Amino acid sequence: MQKQVVTTLHDTHVKLLAFDLLSLKQSNSSSDPTFFYRRGIPLSRVETLGTVTLVDHKPNKFLRFAIDDATGCVPCILWLNHHSSPFLARRHPNPDHLRLIADAAARSAALVRIGAVARVRGRISSYKGALQVTVSDVVLERDPNAEMLHWLDCVYLARNCYNVLPAPPK
Amino acid sequence: MALEIKSGALVCLRDLQPSSPFFKQGASLRIIGKLNEYSLETGVATIIDGNDILKVSTEHLRDLTFQVGSVYQFIGELLIQPDNEGILQARVGRNVDGIDLNLYHQSLLLLRQFQADHLNNPAI
Repeated sequence: MQKQVVTTLHDTHVKLLAFDLLSLKQSNSSSDPTFFYRRGIPLSRVETLGTVTLVDHKPNKFLRFAIDDATGCVPCILWLNHHSSPFLARRHPNPDHLRLIADAAARSAALVRIGAVARVRGRISSYKGALQVTVSDVVLERDPNAEMLHWLDCVYLARNCYNVLPAPPK
Repeated sequence: MALEIKSGALVCLRDLQPSSPFFKQGASLRIIGKLNEYSLETGVATIIDGNDILKVSTEHLRDLTFQVGSVYQFIGELLIQPDNEGILQARVGRNVDGIDLNLYHQSLLLLRQFQADHLNNPAI
C-alpha cells in the first residue's frame, strides 16, 4: 500500500517550501535525470506559492520569474516559444493542441507581475546546475491569508506524509 | 536559471531591535504591519505592530495606494541609518487587509520551528 503511495508521488504536485525544494538532490543516473530526490523519494512535480519578486520577460521566448515564499526564492521559467520551437512542434504534432498550450502559457504569463501572490505548478528541472520550476500553470491568489495557509499545508504534509514515506528500494 | 535576488526573511517588527540578529545592514526582510502614517512628499510609510514601529521607504513601489489603518506587507532591504534607526527599502508591497494577524504570528513561529527541525535532520 505504501509503495503505491510512493509511486503516485512521481506525478503529484508536491507542496514544498522554497528552502526544502531548493535542497532537493538531482538524480545522478542518466536513465532518469528528470527526477529529484527528497529523503530518497523521487519527485518530478511541485507546487509553490509566494510573492513574485522578479520578472524577466522575453516575448515569444520565455518568462522567468522568482517566487519568494519567505523561506527562499524559487526560480521559475514559463516557456512562450511554442510557435518557434522544433522540439515542441515534434512533441505536439497537432497544431490545434499546440495552440491551446501556447494560449494557456500566454494567459499564465499575463498574470505574473511583481508583488502578485501566485500559486505555481510545474515540473522540477535544473539549469546550469541550479534547480528551477518549469511552469505549467499559474493562479493568482487574492486571499491575504493564502501564503500562510500554504506554509501550514507544507509543514503538515512534510511532517505527516512526505517525511514518513519509506524510500523505494534501490 | 540564475535569478539573483534574496528572499525576504520573515520577521515581526519586534524582531528588529538593534540587538536582534535580523537587524543588519542590507538584510532582506519581509514584514507586516498597520499603516500609521504616510508622507506623500518623502514616500516614507510608518507601520506599527503592537508597540513596535518601523519606517518603510516606498519610493520604488508603483501601483500601490496607501490608506492609514490598512495592513501592508513589504519585502525589501534594511538600511540602518547613522542614528541606528532602521528603515526598510521596500521593493515589493501589497495591501493585506483581511489577514488574520493572530494566525500569521502563530504560523511564523511554526515555520521557524519547522525550518530549524529540517536543518537538524535535512532531507537527503
